[in-house]
Amino acid sequence: MDLLTVSVTARESAGEPYTLVEIAGEADVTNTDELRRLLDEEVAQQPRSLIVDMSGLRFMDSSALHALLRVNRSLDRQGGVLALVSPQAAVAKILRLTTADRLIPVFDSVAEAAAG
Amino acid sequence: MASEGRTARGAPAAHEALARPPIARPSDDEPSPPAAREPTSYPYTTDLASIRAIVQRYAIKAGLSEARAIDLVLAVSEVAANTVRHAKSPGNLQIWYDAHEIVCQLHDEGTITDPLAGQRQPSLEARGGHGLWIVNEVCDQVELRSDETGTTIRLHMNLPPS
Repeated sequence: MDLLTVSVTARESAGEPYTLVEIAGEADVTNTDELRRLLDEEVAQQPRSLIVDMSGLRFMDSSALHALLRVNRSLDRQGGVLALVSPQAAVAKILRLTTADRLIPVFDSVAEAAAG
Repeated sequence: MASEGRTARGAPAAHEALARPPIARPSDDEPSPPAAREPTSYPYTTDLASIRAIVQRYAIKAGLSEARAIDLVLAVSEVAANTVRHAKSPGNLQIWYDAHEIVCQLHDEGTITDPLAGQRQPSLEARGGHGLWIVNEVCDQVELRSDETGTTIRLHMNLPPS
């Protein structure tokens, strides 16, 4: 069983397209390269909005956080927006501790994130 | 909280204290300590998920709250991640607890040369360096000893009075 699973779907909210990335399992230094590669592929599509659903993510360490921060910077440069959805307690903790949650908006649901 | 621990019982004491884990030694007039007081060793390479599961189990058994257990799991995972990134050798985790605290000690053959590693908060733009800073933030006390033979980091979490 893979420690981390990532699935990507193209969606639309009120006529606005967005990319939904669902991350589930545990994200740490041993699979950050894979996570970064998958996220980079999506960033390369230049989405206006990239929404990461973290509700299935049980754990995230600082290297996975760096991957998300990098996505945030890249999207920002190309005029896109990154949003995070439903982090579990352990994930919410590292976002809060590093103040990453003040840099990247965090929402309770995909619908809220898509509505901006 | 964490910084108090560092200044009051920081590096100089750590040098002595880190020489060996405090194995519980029952004396004649003391009952035998619970088995968990004996440090248990868990070698690890890249199987950090199992290390996290072990720490989680111990943390709850020792009586840490769920939120503090999350902190300890995060701290141990970050230290073990440094082993994966830098040490090029397997690491070893030891866990023990008594009525007052739970301790996780991680050892590997890597060397940390920065004496202030983890003491300052890196910017969110930084490419790395959050790991040890997080460890210092979430633990009640962190002891670090590193030389050319390896690195030992001991993480202490106070237990709530029962």
